[in-house]
Amino acid sequence: MKTFKLNNEPKIKSGFKTPENYFDTFSAKVMQQLPKEEAKKESRIISLFSKRKSWIYAAAAVLVLALTLPVAYNNFYSSSPEIDEATLENYISYNTSISDADLVNLLDEKDIQNMDIGMNIENITIENELSANKNLENYLSN
Amino acid sequence: MREEKEFIQELLNPKTQNLAFERLLKEFQRPLYNHIRTIVLNHDDTDDVLQNTFVKVFQNLNKFKGESKLFSWIYRIATNEALTFLNQKAKKSGISSETLQSKAIDNLKADVYFDGNEIQIKLQKAIALLPEKQQLVFKMKYFEELKYEEISEILGTSVGALKASYHHAVKKIEAFVKTN
Repeated sequence: MKTFKLNNEPKIKSGFKTPENYFDTFSAKVMQQLPKEEAKKESRIISLFSKRKSWIYAAAAVLVLALTLPVAYNNFYSSSPEIDEATLENYISYNTSISDADLVNLLDEKDIQNMDIGMNIENITIENELSANKNLENYLSN
Repeated sequence: MREEKEFIQELLNPKTQNLAFERLLKEFQRPLYNHIRTIVLNHDDTDDVLQNTFVKVFQNLNKFKGESKLFSWIYRIATNEALTFLNQKAKKSGISSETLQSKAIDNLKADVYFDGNEIQIKLQKAIALLPEKQQLVFKMKYFEELKYEEISEILGTSVGALKASYHHAVKKIEAFVKTN
């Protein structure tokens, strides 16, 4: 058998063929498949934007809640049992029928002594008060 | 070279992109078809791979850094697409790439888009026995008639190594044809 030398032989063609007019329509076929740059960008923007939007909504909702919760809490509970002193005093003084005499009867010796300590009034103040009082004699005689 | 830079600019500019890409398609469709066809062998698969290649080229245009020539970058994408396609096809069929290739060669005889006789089939059978890299080098040099410098840029192998590869491939093919 004679030696086969590729370079000595006539060129062997690949033999591959294409359908007729294959390349005439090929580029159009590919162009149709290409992602449209404009549409691609736009849709990307929309999807990003809507994502960002939902984040904004979420953040806004949290913020509104955070700001309104303490206010709402105060509104609901400001009428809580903790009534301030002045209101209480006013209420009692206007709405009760307790007379001074009743109060005196309620206080015993100890209470009065405690009040003394609390008041800590100087003697001169007492003298001034007594001298200005028209009923002094009445007190003395009693 | 200056012209290629301008062409790449046109490909990247949204206003000129479509026209420039059509030009690229016209310029590369035939050589790339031949390149892919020598790897995947039948027309329908080549058609699929060729379309995917161009879509991929388009999608990755902004990643093309200009470090290599546009020509070799596109050929590289086509080669990868073709080889990936074959591996996936073999995997799907549950056979080896070698079996798939020999089946494809057997099918060539009945392929309406193959115009060849015994010697062409024999050559394909001889090529199929070569290692993958030698197959690529041989097909690109012998069928596609690319220059060693061009093949070197596409495959990232030195010209010297390519020449050695081609030489080995030719010897093995000649030996196969002689004994079969």
